[in-house]
This record gives sequence, C-alpha cells and structure tokens, in this order.
Amino acid sequence: MIEDLTFIAQISIKSSVAVLLATVGGIITERSGVLNLGIEGMMLVGALAGFAAGHFTQSPVVAVAAGTMAGGALSLVHAFFTIALRSNQVLSGLALTILGTGLANFLGRPLIGQTGVRIRQLPIPYLSDIPVIGEVFFNQSPFAYAAYLLVPLAWFVLFRTRTGLVLRAVGEDARSADVAGVNVELTRTLSVFVGGLFAGLAGTYLSLSYTPGWKETMTGGQGWIAIAMIIFCTWNPLLAFFGALLFGGLTALQFFFQATSMDLIPSYVLKMLPYLLTIGVLVLVSASSRHRKSASPADLGVPFYREL
Amino acid sequence: MIRVAKRKQPLRYQGAVATFSAVAIALVVGCVIFAALGVNPLTAYTAMGKGVLSSVDAFSEVLVKATPLIFTGLAVATAATMMLWNIGAEGQLVWGGIFAAGTALFLFPGLDGWLLIPLVLAASALGGVVWSLIPALLRAKLRVNEILTTLLLNYVAIIYMEHLFYGPWRDPAGYGFPGTAQIPEAAQLVRFAGTRISIGFPLALLCAVFLYYLLKKSIWGYQVQVIGKEQRAAHYAGFNVTGKILTVMALSGAFAGLAGMTEVCGIHYRLQTGLAVGYGYDGIIVAWLAGLNPLAVPFAAILLGALFVGGEQLQSVLGLPSSISLILEGALLFGLFAGQTLARYTLTFSSRSEVPS
Amino acid sequence: MSDPVISLRGLSKRFGPVWANREVDLDLFPGRVHALLGENGAGKSTLMSILAGRYGADKGTLMMHGQEVTFSSPAKALDHGIGMVYQRFMLIESMSVADNLALTVGKKYGRRGVDYEIRQTAEQYGLAVDPEKRIFELSMGERQRVEIIKLLMLDAEVLIFDEPTSVLTPPEVDALFVIIDRLRGEGKTIVLITHKLEEVLKLADDISIMRKGRLIISEPIDARQMSRQQLARLMVGRDVVLRVDKKEVALGETVLALDGFSGDSPSGGPSFNEVTFEIRKGEIFSIIGVAGNGQTGLVSAIAGLSRAGAGTITFDGTSYTAREWAMASAAEIAYVPEDRYQSGSIGSMSIAENFGLTRLQAYRSGLAGLLLDREKMAADGRRAIGEHNIKVESSEASAGSLSGGNLQKVILARELTRKAKLFIAEQPTQGLDISATEDIWQALLECREKAGVLLVTGDLKEVLSLSDRIGVIFNGRILEIIDAHDSDRVDRVGLLMAGVRS
Repeated sequence: MIEDLTFIAQISIKSSVAVLLATVGGIITERSGVLNLGIEGMMLVGALAGFAAGHFTQSPVVAVAAGTMAGGALSLVHAFFTIALRSNQVLSGLALTILGTGLANFLGRPLIGQTGVRIRQLPIPYLSDIPVIGEVFFNQSPFAYAAYLLVPLAWFVLFRTRTGLVLRAVGEDARSADVAGVNVELTRTLSVFVGGLFAGLAGTYLSLSYTPGWKETMTGGQGWIAIAMIIFCTWNPLLAFFGALLFGGLTALQFFFQATSMDLIPSYVLKMLPYLLTIGVLVLVSASSRHRKSASPADLGVPFYREL
Repeated sequence: MIRVAKRKQPLRYQGAVATFSAVAIALVVGCVIFAALGVNPLTAYTAMGKGVLSSVDAFSEVLVKATPLIFTGLAVATAATMMLWNIGAEGQLVWGGIFAAGTALFLFPGLDGWLLIPLVLAASALGGVVWSLIPALLRAKLRVNEILTTLLLNYVAIIYMEHLFYGPWRDPAGYGFPGTAQIPEAAQLVRFAGTRISIGFPLALLCAVFLYYLLKKSIWGYQVQVIGKEQRAAHYAGFNVTGKILTVMALSGAFAGLAGMTEVCGIHYRLQTGLAVGYGYDGIIVAWLAGLNPLAVPFAAILLGALFVGGEQLQSVLGLPSSISLILEGALLFGLFAGQTLARYTLTFSSRSEVPS
Repeated sequence: MSDPVISLRGLSKRFGPVWANREVDLDLFPGRVHALLGENGAGKSTLMSILAGRYGADKGTLMMHGQEVTFSSPAKALDHGIGMVYQRFMLIESMSVADNLALTVGKKYGRRGVDYEIRQTAEQYGLAVDPEKRIFELSMGERQRVEIIKLLMLDAEVLIFDEPTSVLTPPEVDALFVIIDRLRGEGKTIVLITHKLEEVLKLADDISIMRKGRLIISEPIDARQMSRQQLARLMVGRDVVLRVDKKEVALGETVLALDGFSGDSPSGGPSFNEVTFEIRKGEIFSIIGVAGNGQTGLVSAIAGLSRAGAGTITFDGTSYTAREWAMASAAEIAYVPEDRYQSGSIGSMSIAENFGLTRLQAYRSGLAGLLLDREKMAADGRRAIGEHNIKVESSEASAGSLSGGNLQKVILARELTRKAKLFIAEQPTQGLDISATEDIWQALLECREKAGVLLVTGDLKEVLSLSDRIGVIFNGRILEIIDAHDSDRVDRVGLLMAGVRS
C-alpha cells in the first residue's frame, strides 16, 4: 500500500514538472501585462529543438540549452507583434501556437523514431535516502530539481526585488509605470522572453526526460493546462506547485490504473480527466472570485501606447 | 525603436491592406524556408500553383478543403462578432461528425435520402450546439474564460470520438481498422460530377450569406454587434448579454457541427481518424483573414484550401513535408497582424535619443 | 522679476491634420503660480504634456535656464526637474504608497531610504499620507498628495497641475491651495491648468490664455487686475452669457418617487442609503455631489440597470419594490449616461445606428418584428442632425468622429425622441465647451415642459442655472433638499457637498 502511494506520488511529481515550469514562465509573462496563449507552441518547439540538439551532439547540456533558447526565440515573435506592433494578444498567442506546431511538425518529420540523449533520474545523495520523501522528491530528474529552485526564485524576484516591482507595475498600470520612468516595452519584452525560456525548458523536459523521443503530439495540451493553472494559482509562483501537482496526480493515477490493469474507470475517461479537471478548476476559481477583486494583473492583455 | 501612433481614421481599405500584407508575408516566409532547404522558391511556388490550378480536378480539391473551412470560419466569426473566442470549433466539428454518423448508422439507418439527409444535417448541427453550449453556459453564468474551456473541450471531444471508433462503434467487418462502418448510401451527400465536391459546398456558401444578413438586417444581429463593440453600451441599453452569449455560441457551434457533417457524409463516409485534422483551428485564421465579414469567409477559406492542396503537391513533386502549409498558415496570421497595424497606426522608425522634429 | 526657468519658443504640435498647439511662446518664473486657461480642446494639456515629456513637439524650442532641452519621455523631463500631476493620477492602485514611490525614486534612495524620504518630504511640505496604505484605499485628495510627494522627492523645480481640483471636495480644494502656496514660497514654479476662473483669481500670479491651440495672451499679466468677465471673454472669444432662458413651467403629476431607496453600486463603488425624494413633471430636480458619493449606483438603480437592495420606487403612479423595478421595463425612462463614449454611444457605429441603442423597439419591422428598419434609423439620425445643429456631414458618419459636444447632442436627441415621462441626465456637460453646454442646458429646460427631469451633476453652476429643487448627496445619503429659489439655503450647497451640516 505504502509502495503504491509512494509510486503514485513520485509519478505525480514527475508528471507535473512540465506544467509547473510552463506555468511559472506564464506567470512571469502575464504579471508584466502580456497574455501569451502560445505556450503550447513554444513547448513543442522547445521539445523538438532539445531533442534535435541532443540527437546531433549527444550533449545533454547543449540539448537543454537549445530547447530552452528555442522557446525563448519563438516567444520573441509574440513580443514583437504584441508589444511593438500592438497586435491583439489573444490572436497573436493562438497564431504562435499554430506557427510553433507547424514548425515542429515540419522540422521534426525526419526525426520521428530517432533516438537522442536521455536525461535520467538522478537521486540526490543522502536526501534520496529519506524514507518516502526521499523517494518521492529527490529521486527525480535534474529538471525537477531545477523547478524546485526556479519556482521560489521566481516568487522572490517578483515580490521581493526592484525588478519584480517594476515588472508588476507594468502589468498593473503601464501608463503610470511609464510616467515613473519605467521602460514598458523593454520590461514586457524581457518578461515574454523569460516566459518563453521556461516554456522551452518545459518542452525539453518532455522530449529528453519524461517521454524521451520526438512525437508531434507530445505536449498533449499541457501548455493550455498551464495557462489555466496560472489563473488557478492567482498569478503566484508558489501556488503553482499545487496547480501542477493536481495535473500530475491525475496523470499518475492514469499510469497506476494502467499498470495494475484495474478498470475501475474506463481508460478514455481517465484520459479526459486532466482536461475536465482543468475546466473544473477554472469554474471553481470563477465562482469563488465573483465577489472579490480578481487577482489578475489589471493591464493584462491591454496594449500600451505612449501617446494617448 | 519603432514609434507607433494611432491614425485618426484607419486606412480606407484596411481589410485589403491587411490581407495583402498577410499573403505577402506568408510568401516571403515561404521563400526563406524553401531557400533554407535548398529548394528554389520559384520552383516550389510553381509546383504549388500548378498543383492548384493545373486542372479542374486539382482545383476541385481546393473547394473540397474549403468546405469545412467555410463552416469553421463562420463559427469563429460568429462568436468573434460578439468578442467571444470560440477556439473549440474543432471539438464541435467532432461532435457534429459523431451525431451525423450516429444518426445515419444507428438511429435511422433505413430511411430514404430525402428524409435522412435533413435529419443528419439537423443532428450534426445539434451536436455542435450541445458542445458549444457547455463553455457558453459557463461563460454566461459563471464568467469562466471561454478561450480555455472551448480549447480544452477539443481534447475531450477527440478522445471520446476515438473511444467510439476504436470501441463500441468500430466496424465489425473492418479488419481491425479504426473507424465505424460506412454510412448508408442514402446519407451520403450528392457530389458534383466527377469531383469530390459535395452539396456541402453550396450549403456552406448559403450559410455565409445567411449569417451576413442575420447580422446586418436583424434586431438580434444589431444587438450582437453592439455587445461585441461596446459591452458597457449594451448594458446601458439593457440588452440581454447572457442570452446573447448562449445564442451566439449555439449558432457558432451549429456551423462547426455542420463542418463535421460535410466531412463525414461528404468525404469519409464514416467516423475515423481523419476527421479531426485541425479545421477548427484553421477556422480562426479564415475568420480573421476575412476580417470577420461572413461574405469574405468563403474567399479566405478557398485561399487556405489552396495552401493545403499546394502543400500536398510539394510533398509529391519535391518531397517536402506537406506540413509546410502549417507554417505558412502561421505566417499568414502574423502577416495579417502586421497589415492591421499598418492600417490603424503610423509607424516611424527613430532612435529614442533623437530630437523629435 | 528673475530670469525664467522655462521658456517655450514657437512650440507647435500637430495631431493628424489638427494643430493642437501653434507657435506658442511662454515663460515660466520661479516662485510664481502661472495659470493656464482655456476651453476644452484649446491645447492647454497638450502644451504642458510636451513640457512634461509625454509628447514631442513638431516645431519650436524648449529652454530651461536658457539652455535648449528636449525630453523623449516623462522620465527625462523629471530628470530635469519638470513634473506633472495629471488629472488621472499616475499611481498603481493595487500597490502601497511606498511601493509606488519606490518605483519612481527607488533608484535614487534605495528601498529603505524611500520610507525615510517620504516622511521627510511629507513633513517639510505638510503633506500627510500613510506610506503603508494601498492607493485604492486613499481619497482623491490623498492620492494627489502622493503625486506631489513623488515630484518633490525627485527635486522637481517645475510642478504642473492639470485641473487639480476637478476631483476634490471643497475642503480638499482649500487644503490643496495651502500646499500650492507653500510650494510657491519654497521657490517652485507652479503651472495650474484650469478652466475655473475662481481658482485663477485666488491663486495665480501670472496668467496665459489659450484658444484653438494658440496662446492669445502671450505676455504674463497680473491675474489680480482682471475681472471674471474679462477673463471669460478672453477664453471664449466672445461675451459669455452664462444665464439661461428659464421659462416658468406649471408643475404636473408626480413622475417618480423614491422611498427609503438603498443599494450598492454595481461595480463595487460606494453605496447609497435611504434615499427619498420625488420628481414632478415640469421640474428639474438635481442631485449634486462630489463624484464617488453613491450617485452612480443610485442612477443606475433608478434607470433599472442594476438592482437596489431595499426601498420602493413609484413610477407614473405604480409602486414597485426594488426587485420588481429591476425586472420591470424601463422603456418610459430616457437616460443620458455620464460615460458618453463607452456607454451612451458606440464610436465605431454610425450616428444612425446609434439611434438603435435605446430605441430598438421603434425600429422593429418585418417577420414578426425580428428585422431592423435601417431606413427609419437613418431618417431619425438626419432629423436629429438638423434639429440640434450637430456639425457633421451625414448620419452615416461614425459617432466616434464627432467632438464631445456634438456626440452628446446625438445622445440627447436620441433620448428626447423616446418621449419618456422621466428624463435622467448624468453629468451632461462634463468636459464640454461653453457653447455646447448652453445648447444642452436649453434642451434640458425645454424637456421639463413634457417630463420630469433628474439632473445628476457635480457642477454647482449647472445646478444653480437649471434646477428647481436641489438634493445634496454625501456619503450615499441625501443630506438636504433645497428649493432653488431659497437663496439663503442655496448658498450652503457647497458646504453640504463636503458633508458639513451646520
């Protein structure tokens, strides 16, 4: 029994890493007032770039760097159109996902079925020996450890540093921030870029560690789930742990049922659950925030013009 | 540094400017990709052009592709007129297909065509409506963001459809091929001589004209436009916004559902994997390329259809992956944004420290 | 007089084909308050925005202490010691006072230094404010103080105030004047953008008047030597008759009666409590108060757009509870809303189409009334353009292309054609120039011959010119209802608006 639970818990963490990283990146982007619905596309391109770099160089470091940078690079397309050209952020984000999917499909075609580098679980000495907790948290891939560090770091930067103050100010009220001497365009561009890096890293995790290999459908909507989780965790990176775990837990249950061939719940229902649950979460958030002030950055989705 | 200033009045032909820029930028992006792959862009475009225009047969395939795109484009445009984002046309299309196949295969398999076709038509529209009403109700009653709900429901719809044709609905005589049995002949849409164009195409055109007049000439259409343009004015005028969210999304879902029907009853004759290939997402591009004008939707759909057929030609003639059309689609959209910006703003390039004079 | 701090020479700024500023020469001196007067659209705010670095000028030079300077952003202007207190405060509402100030001056003092500096500056200039409070918790007067502290912490020499009193209660206005006086004493250069003549006469040392983008009085002159009438004539370019032609109208039946009407504002604003009054046909009943005292929620509930919590409302002889009223059709009520751009009209639709907004029932046609009679809409639009002297080529022009005054006339015309028994006008002349204001006042006076008029405004002059009876609202309650002919009591309206009941 305890082994089963440990197994489920460990898989939960493992399954939540990509959503967690993408969510935190999305929070950084949205806190600056830019909505980027292109996370799914950036993850996919990150996954492909990471896999391809690993395949050709056999270097895990190059692979991770390439995947992360690819996500960042694609995000700059969104930054250019929404920040410099003031295009509609919703549409540009959707277009980014379409473009990213197209790029990944097109460029990845020859790589289907190939092998790349694989980043395996890396138990942390001593910590992984702690009963249960060690197995669950410290017998993971380096990506999970990176997430353990990046999440609190993101929180710290956002809420305890001047950089974070500037970033949030731009997201809350770009005009006031501008008058206060903040470079709104630059701040937003950098925030979008950092969000892209996170999404790229999340995608790289999928293709190098979680399900090593390249498949066009490997993100399976995790980018969209991340966007829902941003709302769920009220734009706070620390709460993103819980949002991502919710998703990871369901995925783990799915594995568990499959592994033990229990058909309490038909498999197609299990497959639907993460999506249905995410919708449930959105409903919950909306219902509970109806009567209080929304936690959403006030200028989210609003383009900024100086001359108004 | 680019300085952007709002034009007092948008350019006169802003739609044309935007579309032209969309096509031009997609062409340029294509050139870059072809060149990067070591293919002469001219050769590639010639191959695409030939593939589309060389014969009646080839062009008819464009209209075949355009048929579901018109429907999904109308679906997206209907919702967007009221500033609702229906990213769920894909899922609604799937449900339209499920309802159509179910009606033809299991509900009324023995009926004559003149009765069965209208029933299948209505059923598929209903399928789309049911699926679009879930996010609509959540949005109207609980203010749940419809972008995410419509999108997430696509995954659910596809998983369910796969469950059906891998499981309970699988053709027992299909040698394990994932798909339902063929629908009865009475439910198959009439095709135009020698082509794969079914009566679904004129039906789609009819729907476009219908939507145009509905928006322009009806009280409902007026209210929908007001709500889309200015929520606060609609509230001031006392319009029933909640009700409109439901009716608009229902109409939107019905269009998408019909796309599922024309695919099942006009092309595949069964429910199978090829149904959910992204027409729902392409509808977003069609709708915005058409500037949300229902009468322009068919033209945008044909343009996109030509892109797909051209992409397939690239694969067979030059051996390039046909998914290049997906990249060009993305480029079309971004080109459109650039054009919209050009039409609405003046851009001046200047360094920040420069003296404004 | 000492040398000027700021000298503008030949400054011009164009928005599209329109010159907002043309060949403006202006000098500003230290230790003096310079009032910049003019009607709406005269170019005052544009000129000062150029000085504060928000806009770049198209032509001309800007000199500071005799040196030519250009500012590419507000931050650059602040570096040179020029700061502006905008009409819409540039503060981030969800953040604390200290965070807001740290955002602007944090680099200079460091996060900890900011807290200390806030207290120092506040004390030196008598600007009390709690650094830990978040902006949305502060009153408008306090927010304005935060803005002033912000500029002072940056060692601003030149402080520009854009209509600083428009959001303040009368006691807050007095407090502001004390602050400005103190700043003047410290040798700061103050610019006061305003169209309120009283403020100019009370505070200004120098005065400039703008009209249609030009500075018509380019030499600073002593404000105290001018009379109100002279100033007003200079501003408008003609003699201003701020008196309206008010006919006696016989009172008719009671149109609207509220009893113990209470409720919240729909957007979470201040509530209104126990409101009781009645309006009869033939009169203009005014509710006057400083913005944010519950009048928005009250009007919204009377118009049936939101539901009041308690009380009864009697309309045209029938009584309703608060709940019933929100359900009942408000077809008999005409309503000119405060927000004429986003609520009262749709900028991207034509004038004709804008007529459909509240009069849709009149345009039903064909097919069980499901179709829209566009011809009739266009005809109504054309008639309104003629009758109300709206300056536009055709009824097909977009509402967004109209000036504020002309747009307001379109909305007014539309609401008048509803022939309602109750006519609500909310801040109907806010931001309009004098001639449009006169037209709208005239229309409201005519309207009361056929209906009861409820005027909701913060403009004392408007109330005194039009009303028959005046209800003063403060903190959600009607403090007193005053007969407009009772001149002794009318004098107390200003005090009542500030909540002072003596």
